[in-house]
Amino acid sequence: MSKSGSLYIERESLFHGLDGSIKLLMLIAWTGFAFAFMDARVFLGMILVGLGILKLSKLPAKAIWPLFAFIFVFTLFNSIFLLLITPEYGSKLAGSYTGIVTLGFYSITLETIFYCITLSLKYIAIMPITILFIFTTHPSNFASSLNRIGVPYRVAYAVNIALRYIPDVKTEVDNIINAQEARGVAFRKGDAGLATRLKNYATVMVPLLLSSFNRIEVVSNAMDLRGFGKSKRRTWYHRKNYTGMDLAFAALSFAVLAAGVAIKIMVGSVYWYPFSL
Amino acid sequence: MKSVVFEDVSFQYGNLDQPTLHHIDLVINEGEKVLITGKSGSGKSTLAHCINGLIPFTYKGEMNGRVLVNEKEPKGLSLFAMGTQVGSILQDQDCQFVGLSAGEDVAFALENDCVSAEEMHAAADRALKQVDMLQHKNQPPQSLSGGQKQKVAIAGILAMNVPILLFDEPLANLDPASGKKAMETILDIHGKTGKTIIVIEHRIEDVLEHGFDRVVVVDDGRIVFNGTPDLLLAEDILPRYGLRQPLYVEMLKLCGIKAKEEDRISILENTIKYKDQVLKRYMEDRFADQRPDNRTILKLQGVSFRYFKEDPYTIEDVSFDVKEGEMLAIVGNNGAGKSTLLKAISGIAKYQKGSIYYGDKNSENKNDDNSSSILGMNCINSWTAKQRALAIGFVMQNPNHMITKDMIYDEVAFGLRNFGVGKEETDARVKEALKICGLYEYRNWPVSSLSYGQKKRVTIASILSMGPKVIILDEPTAGQDYTSYREFMSYLDRIKDTGVGIILITHDMHLALEYADTGVVLSSGRVIAKDYIDRILADSWIIGKANLKHTSIERMGRLFGVEDLSAFIAYFTRRVTSTTDQSPDLTKLVKQSLSGEGEEVPHE
Amino acid sequence: MNGISGFFQSVVSREGIIAVVVAVVLSIVIALLNKKKGRHMSTKTVVAIGVGAALYAALSAISIPVGPNTSFRIAIALLPIFGAFFGPTAGFLIGFIGHALNDAFMYGNVWWSWVFLSAMMGLFGGFVCFDKKFDPLNGICTKVHIGLMYLWSIIGMFVGSVIAYLGDVYLYSEPTEKLFVQITLANISNLVVIAVIGIPAVILIAKSKAKNQGLKKDL
Repeated sequence: MSKSGSLYIERESLFHGLDGSIKLLMLIAWTGFAFAFMDARVFLGMILVGLGILKLSKLPAKAIWPLFAFIFVFTLFNSIFLLLITPEYGSKLAGSYTGIVTLGFYSITLETIFYCITLSLKYIAIMPITILFIFTTHPSNFASSLNRIGVPYRVAYAVNIALRYIPDVKTEVDNIINAQEARGVAFRKGDAGLATRLKNYATVMVPLLLSSFNRIEVVSNAMDLRGFGKSKRRTWYHRKNYTGMDLAFAALSFAVLAAGVAIKIMVGSVYWYPFSL
Repeated sequence: MKSVVFEDVSFQYGNLDQPTLHHIDLVINEGEKVLITGKSGSGKSTLAHCINGLIPFTYKGEMNGRVLVNEKEPKGLSLFAMGTQVGSILQDQDCQFVGLSAGEDVAFALENDCVSAEEMHAAADRALKQVDMLQHKNQPPQSLSGGQKQKVAIAGILAMNVPILLFDEPLANLDPASGKKAMETILDIHGKTGKTIIVIEHRIEDVLEHGFDRVVVVDDGRIVFNGTPDLLLAEDILPRYGLRQPLYVEMLKLCGIKAKEEDRISILENTIKYKDQVLKRYMEDRFADQRPDNRTILKLQGVSFRYFKEDPYTIEDVSFDVKEGEMLAIVGNNGAGKSTLLKAISGIAKYQKGSIYYGDKNSENKNDDNSSSILGMNCINSWTAKQRALAIGFVMQNPNHMITKDMIYDEVAFGLRNFGVGKEETDARVKEALKICGLYEYRNWPVSSLSYGQKKRVTIASILSMGPKVIILDEPTAGQDYTSYREFMSYLDRIKDTGVGIILITHDMHLALEYADTGVVLSSGRVIAKDYIDRILADSWIIGKANLKHTSIERMGRLFGVEDLSAFIAYFTRRVTSTTDQSPDLTKLVKQSLSGEGEEVPHE
Repeated sequence: MNGISGFFQSVVSREGIIAVVVAVVLSIVIALLNKKKGRHMSTKTVVAIGVGAALYAALSAISIPVGPNTSFRIAIALLPIFGAFFGPTAGFLIGFIGHALNDAFMYGNVWWSWVFLSAMMGLFGGFVCFDKKFDPLNGICTKVHIGLMYLWSIIGMFVGSVIAYLGDVYLYSEPTEKLFVQITLANISNLVVIAVIGIPAVILIAKSKAKNQGLKKDL
């Protein structure tokens, strides 16, 4: 993360040029579309398209791969957890039973493993457009984009405030914790038991909250004095007019979303299992 | 036209028992530059709130009398309408700066006014250009310095095109060099636009050197002085109300000079006529230099640290010694590496190069490895932050970031309890620390009943009780007015006398000069000078390189053509400090400040 | 355990879904009614949401793992706290924005159904403000208020759990039994965080804001 706490990486690309609200729309459509399916083929297709989009956005691979690494680890753990608790779940869905490992009552089936793979692919498939939005949209555009797709501007501006103060608040949290640590308060593993460490976080909460409340008061005074909330709408410094490309992607997003919803309504959530009899 | 009129105004906050303002009568004319000053809790911020409309719209209470801003009564308007009359710049630059980039922040008010994007960009550029910040337009606040953020704030107000500019403690969070630039920007705007400028500030010298038309002194909710700076300085008004006079004025008074209003001593150059009197006094009376030569207790050798491998070192090759009972000031501008150095000493930042040695008499043989100790001191490179905490105490700038307990006694005992010190010993050490810090009588009081300066003393007591041999204080006097600053420093002197080495980390040259024995000057992460403070201050090259600010004593010495500038500065600074410090009756001082209102603005 | 998981499965039935939807709609209506009285959101609420969400994101870096897939997340404590000080709307949006931003920035992926769990905890945490006497910033927080804070937090966790559960089942197609275990573990750890850090912090702040009277020096 950069000093300002944002992940934005400046590049010249088709997607950097799109308005933030369009990318937000794409994010919603993409996610909605993924939600409609439980089909490994669809997800593989989405992953390929998604990777293509990321390639076109010219983002450095170095910045993105840690997120992919994380989702791999996450899906791995999720799958293990799933296999531990519902080892035969996939069989119920697929309607066939092919045991692989059997230990008394507990047995893992091939169908469940395939189910785990499908689910993992789904999580991975959702990811590329979220990444695209975060890395190619300047944080200044977040709030105005939200406002543009219909979120009230006061709520949208709260997002702006959050982005503005995340780095400041982080420094403050570090300072307060360091100061308490220097007075012998244990926060690290090995310094004290679980319950004590948890209680110790309660001691830093009060100074942290009081200073946050003070910040809230002063910032809101500063905003009031400069006319925030004056009228029913507000304009945005970083907003540009839509281009043809913006509109094209908006239309595409709507189409994708509509397709997803239509499939969900007409066919229902169909689980695809290739090896059933 | 009259910009601001107060007619017999009294005001009481809804949740306080006493009025904060009493019968205020005040007129500020269009185009005037007015300084409003007073101690913490005097009511000067409340006065500001009456001007910008936060009273009555945000802070509720009972008001008698009449306030007129540009000939209209605020209470008949709205806070938004007031925003088009008075542009306010608050003291905390980070709270004022709400945008994610300089340009966006400047445009904030225009966005709220639904100005079109094109117009907005043009207006923001114009305003940024006026404060010379156009090249930083796209930078996020985190990569701007405090002074730059303030300039952006000023641009934000300029973009609103309001007739009155109100600055609430504009210098409070700036180092002196940036503060000077900020004042220059403000005056430059005044010169170009002729707007009414109202500055609320207790750093009087830093404001007056820029030539103000009028000063208003507020004390205990009443206006006690309203006149020209020359009259103010001639009449000894400031000391009477616990405010600090400009250093060179203190110095003139020390030499028995009685100036009149028409002598116009608010301009330093006009004091040339007192040259003989000043120099005579200087030649007649000399201080015995007492420079302690105690044993070294903390030694830094070639310490370097960088946050990331690919970055250059944030601090590089830093070496200095701290002796028992010595007060050492680490001075440097914002960004010079002061806070990183502090992290390195306290063990939070693991320095990549160099060593730190610590020599407590009792711990001489702690390390088996003889090679890692020098001069009877142990190398503490491998000590964790927690281990170091018992040897080197660290007091944060903002006491509210350190205090976690309800009662004073518990707060001071907190560290000892965490380290598992026995009950009796804890009790003895807590009481001892409370006594040194003048808080013993209040040990069973809640912390929330104390003023800011007193809370700060609680944090020192809580560090002192842990028995460190070195205490580091980060900007010890920030946020305190002169009276509470003096009182606070006198307690530090008492701690010093117990043999503890004290390190002050500061950009305040006055402070360093008055109280510290030695100084280390940091610039861009390197030590550029290590010497007795007065010698450092006399060296123009160091001052310039470290972007510090000359004190007015130094400027006066140059004006008078004094040869040994260092001795001149040392003499007068210490003389001024020792005569005005009439070793105050400590308990009396505590009483006074405890009975006064701690914070000016009550939280709703 | 079977009984409870049976309950969760019954929730997925048609009647169950209707009941849940009704509960959610009701709670949102209550929230909106509350908002209507103050016309639109005040600037202070906007800033409280922003700073609260920033804190949520900053504190999300701190978690104490207690077992597989479970950890004490300190940030959770903020939800009932900000709810209590700034009301249900602020609580809801802090949970929503804070959780979504943190997920997006840290993982590049937002777990939307779990975002609602946080949001609901904030929303219900704010319902203690319906008692107009409750004013912790001026030192007013009675035993009844403390009880109410626990009650609303637990209800909020329940409603949020149901939404997270439905979301994960219908949108992400996670198996129900596994979710049941996951949600139960998350709720237990969240409840511990709220009980040890969240609500005590509100009480401590109220205590520190209480007027100090009759202070005498001890010589």
